[in-house]
Amino acid sequence: MSWVRAAALVPCPGDEGDVFDEEADETLLVQREWRNHMHRRIKEGYRDGVDAGKAVALQQGFNQGYKKGAEIIINYGQLRGTLSALLSWCHLHGNSSALISKIHNLLDAVGQCEEYVLKHLKSFTPESHVVDLLDSIQDMDLCHVVPAEEKIDEAKDERLYENNAEFNKNCSKSPGEIDGSSTERCPTQQHAHSESPSLPWILEQTAGLVKQLGVPVDVLQHLKQL
Amino acid sequence: MARSQDMFDAIVMAEERFHGEGYREGYEEGSSMGVVEGRRYGTLHGAKIGSEIGCYRGFALVWKCLLHRCPAEKDSKKVKVLDSLLGMIQKFPYDDPTYDKLHEDLDRIRGKFKQLCSLLNVQPDFKIPAEGSVLSF
Repeated sequence: MSWVRAAALVPCPGDEGDVFDEEADETLLVQREWRNHMHRRIKEGYRDGVDAGKAVALQQGFNQGYKKGAEIIINYGQLRGTLSALLSWCHLHGNSSALISKIHNLLDAVGQCEEYVLKHLKSFTPESHVVDLLDSIQDMDLCHVVPAEEKIDEAKDERLYENNAEFNKNCSKSPGEIDGSSTERCPTQQHAHSESPSLPWILEQTAGLVKQLGVPVDVLQHLKQL
Repeated sequence: MARSQDMFDAIVMAEERFHGEGYREGYEEGSSMGVVEGRRYGTLHGAKIGSEIGCYRGFALVWKCLLHRCPAEKDSKKVKVLDSLLGMIQKFPYDDPTYDKLHEDLDRIRGKFKQLCSLLNVQPDFKIPAEGSVLSF
């Protein structure tokens, strides 16, 4: 019994030479064989373990990712739906093509934003805890997850807006508070510094659009949470 | 006899023990690999549903607001279908992948949405990124 443990646990000293040593004890060969056998068992166990662990975790991970993806992207969907509704309203009421093209541009911007967020969501690692997730989301310019009082400070840190402190404050307000005067310089800021348009900018533009269309601002009520 | 039986048991148990050691290590490794892989697929699927449901919700809420302004539409079929659609969306657990009637409910929501669009006489274009985002003008 004792040799079983010894062979398995204690590494054999002077490995290679011993195999050809005629004087050597026969038990050395047996020990080596035993050890190899046990190594194989460990490897087999490892493989079985990987399969079993993966099978269980796949579903878990899927459920986690699904929830996260749905919860975050639904906001972009709502914005997209809102713009589409305004677009269909414009078509029905024969609004100017300038407004219509503006809505199309905003829809494209939402698409870019959504793609960008999704790309980052997919690359989450298993170590992601709530704090890490929040950090990542902040990096993504998703201001809507940040409590309102922190928005201004957080926006100031973003390289996106580093040249324009005034603009930071505008973007941090809710869309309804923003007048149309600052909207014209935003697009150049946006596309010069960022891979994708930011959500605050799109919301702001949408609010401006609603005013131009002459429909009540209430239509954007459901976007307040963004 | 008894002694060789002990020996045999020890060998068999050792096999199990080593297998078990490897298994535990592999299980941990497999778990973290599985979570990453599962999460990637899950995020995509969840995002797809979220995007679609969000579109319907945003669309319906805006139209509800717009119709509300027209007294003629107060009790019209449009408003009824709209409310029914919003009710279905409200009840739909879009973020729960284990919901067993997910596809069934989603199809009903899609159908209701189409009905609404035809009543409103509009053909919305949500510009879902997968279909390629092309500037129209």
